[in-house]
Amino acid sequence: MSLLLLLIPFIGSLAAFALRGATVRNAALAFTMANLAVTVFALLSFDPAPGQAIDEFTIPWVPGSGISFSLGMDGISLLLVLLTNLLAPLIVYTSFNRNFEQEHRYYGLIMLMIAALNGVFMAQDGLLFYIFYELALIPIYFICAIWGGQNRIRVTLKFFIYTFVGSLFMLLSLLYVYLQTPGSHSFAWQDLVAVQLAPEAAWWVMLGFFLAFAVKMPLFPFHTWQPDTYTTAPTGGTMLLAGIMLKMGIYGVIRWMIPLAPEALQTWTPIFMTLAVIGIVYAGIIAIKQTDLKRLIAYSSIAHVGLIAAGVFAWNKTGVQGSLIQMLNHGINVVGLFFIADLIERRLGTRSLSEMGGIAKSAPRFATLFMIVTLGSVAVPLTNGFAGEFLLLNGVWNYNAWMGAVSGSTIIFGAVYMLRAYGLAMFGDSNAETARFADLNLREWVVLGFIAGLVVVLGFFPQMILHLTDGSVNKILGAVQF
Amino acid sequence: MKALLILFVTAIAVLFAGLRINRKLLQPLAIGGAILALLATLLDLMYGDTTGWNDQYATMFRFDNYALAFSAIILLTTVLLMGLTGYGFRNLTNTLGDNYGLILFSLCGALCMLSFTNMVMLFLGIEILSIPLYVLAGSRRDDPASNEAALKYFLMGAFATGILLFGMTLVYGATTSFDLRTIAAAVSDGQHSAGMLHVGIMMILIGLGFKVSAVPFHFWAPDVYQGSPNLITAFMATVVKTAAFAAFFRLFSTAFAGAEAFWSIPVALMAGLTMTLANVTAIFQADFKRMMAYSSISHAGYLLLAILAIAVPGSGGAILFYTLTYSIATVCAFAVYVAVAEQNGDGSFSAFNGLSKKQPFLAAVMAISMLSLAGIPPMAGFFGKYFLFMAAFEKYPGLVVLAVINSAISIYYYFKVIIAMYFTREENAYIVVIPNGVRWVVLAGMALIILLTLAPGSVYGLI
Repeated sequence: MSLLLLLIPFIGSLAAFALRGATVRNAALAFTMANLAVTVFALLSFDPAPGQAIDEFTIPWVPGSGISFSLGMDGISLLLVLLTNLLAPLIVYTSFNRNFEQEHRYYGLIMLMIAALNGVFMAQDGLLFYIFYELALIPIYFICAIWGGQNRIRVTLKFFIYTFVGSLFMLLSLLYVYLQTPGSHSFAWQDLVAVQLAPEAAWWVMLGFFLAFAVKMPLFPFHTWQPDTYTTAPTGGTMLLAGIMLKMGIYGVIRWMIPLAPEALQTWTPIFMTLAVIGIVYAGIIAIKQTDLKRLIAYSSIAHVGLIAAGVFAWNKTGVQGSLIQMLNHGINVVGLFFIADLIERRLGTRSLSEMGGIAKSAPRFATLFMIVTLGSVAVPLTNGFAGEFLLLNGVWNYNAWMGAVSGSTIIFGAVYMLRAYGLAMFGDSNAETARFADLNLREWVVLGFIAGLVVVLGFFPQMILHLTDGSVNKILGAVQF
Repeated sequence: MKALLILFVTAIAVLFAGLRINRKLLQPLAIGGAILALLATLLDLMYGDTTGWNDQYATMFRFDNYALAFSAIILLTTVLLMGLTGYGFRNLTNTLGDNYGLILFSLCGALCMLSFTNMVMLFLGIEILSIPLYVLAGSRRDDPASNEAALKYFLMGAFATGILLFGMTLVYGATTSFDLRTIAAAVSDGQHSAGMLHVGIMMILIGLGFKVSAVPFHFWAPDVYQGSPNLITAFMATVVKTAAFAAFFRLFSTAFAGAEAFWSIPVALMAGLTMTLANVTAIFQADFKRMMAYSSISHAGYLLLAILAIAVPGSGGAILFYTLTYSIATVCAFAVYVAVAEQNGDGSFSAFNGLSKKQPFLAAVMAISMLSLAGIPPMAGFFGKYFLFMAAFEKYPGLVVLAVINSAISIYYYFKVIIAMYFTREENAYIVVIPNGVRWVVLAGMALIILLTLAPGSVYGLI
């Protein structure tokens, strides 16, 4: 199955490049739905209690040098594979609302991206992980640079070089640990984890990984590429970036950075935690001042990711569990929010909050669903965001009460900027444009209704997700000794 | 040896055929000879007995796996390049046979450089390789730039050869032999005059530095690359570079391995300078061929890492894999460039504007070549970089970090082409058609890049 999850979107992408006309979008939707079906099947066959990886698939790649094409899924991988393949059809389906020039390339690149993302989350071999991690960058770069908005060439090149440089340092760290493995060396996860590094070496190794993942998430002060890129990218690209791609960074920390260099964790944690907490407050404050809706969501994403990262760096069970469930929730919410921003932009031709107002009067159904997604993002109890943020704050608090208290400000900031945006857009006086604001059409109703449904269901039953990752989190926490 | 003979005979045949026979036969004849030589090499590589030092050919050559594997690379590259000559040489009239003949003669020299076991043979190989190239560089006789390139190349080449030869005589003076084994023994047992040997090694290093265009001996390269006819530039960037590096590695890993402590510092310096200067300068180029010239200099910088790592078992395989992927990607890039630039009459990046809509296939080939040259996974070029970095990492972590930073810089100029092809909306009015030879060459090149990505071990493990 793990191989199928890779092959279906890959073949889909080749098919999309070859096809022309209206069949392309339907084929893309079919392929992503097929992948979702395989994911559900994998979820059903997974036994969460022992947390053992399933569907292992390994063939040697470079014989004699310990590089193998090795896939597998434990609970943590499955959660992220679920996130990827749940959002993929949504992203494809929402793209139907726009008519892109050279559509076959757009859908082909999206599916190539999905294949690479699945690969990142399933790779059990260090070099394979690195290769998928980089492979994911190429399609998203093309998506943003071909179909993006203003300044797209400059902004996307900055994004590409920034993230590529970060990952190259990760390659060096991986290489270093690889060269410490006994015998003819190996990149297999368990062999890399087994290496005992000297504290000084571990310090450098962790730094290399951190640079790669901090740029990708992005953490303060490595975030400067993010708002521009999110704003410039076409909405499908932004959804991929914010919904799934930034989780590659957090997943990388959980799966690779900390297990491979735990010896340096205690030295680095205070710095990492401080950066994450600064990011929460900093991005929260900036988000309040934004007038561009897409940019506001971009900054809110930095704040949320800061909290998720802080939960991981705290490296206790509540923190890690909270970060995992929040990765899923944030993915769903942020895709919902970007969908809403795109919907408004398509209707009004602007993203500026100052040119909106009074939409709720002309589009009540839209207003309701937007409210639900907003509440999820603010983490009101009984929405999906609440369980995650609660666990995360608990985890950070357990590490350091002061940091927990400062991080808690995210709830206040989140409420301020989200409700401000909602108020400015939906309430107040209508202008000529917003008075004619059409309510949701069927396609939009399906997408937004589905997302709002997930917000509520996961808000009521977070236990489903926590149960899925429980065994694997225990396992990975147990495997890491420092 | 078989390959060498086949090439030599074909070269003479082509030269004479050029005088008499229909010019349409020349390309098949030359390609046929090169393919035959390639097959002979591959057969030897697979079935030949290449173990142990055998004293045939008066201890001048040794066709071991190393020599055969590199021969296969340069022959393969030449076959691909010759596939482009039908289009690239279409304006040559009387001199067509000479062009093919000179390329094949030059290849004979390259083969000597890969298989020598005696420094005399190395010297002869370099000369046999270079002299036809001086002529080829100037083969567009009406073009002042081509003439300038030929003269510059000749003067710098002659100068470098002189230094190289002086170095060899000094090494002979110190070790009383031209034979690699005898030199190696003398170098490692310390029975030599250290001063003379070290000066000799330094001079050889400088001479070879010119040939591989390593900083600070690279000044000739950009002008020569830009002025020479397109396909000759591609030949210099691939075949000549591969042969020069293979010879460099062979000489230093056998004869001078014992003096590593002495020469590793200048080589490390050269490597660091080469990568950094070439990459930074390449950013500012507006002309595609000039950019490729600096790019080829920067790749020389990465390849020097393998020379530094001669003691690591995989370093030979790393250099082999790297030169192979680099050559294929460069040939493919030049194939597209030849088609685009000669139909546009413009060699700058703007010639590529909007190519993705006009010729999506050519644009995709160019994009993949650029990504591979930049070493972005999962392209084959990534594995090349990976093997090199892995070989050098333990001893020279600082240099590898520098190389990593440089690969990031290189994205900036490789992506200029991609940006022009895919993202630039203002288009130029020219129509580009795909010439027949170009289509087959780039198809073969892409197939090879995919194969190398799927099974990098098959080449890496050869030596």
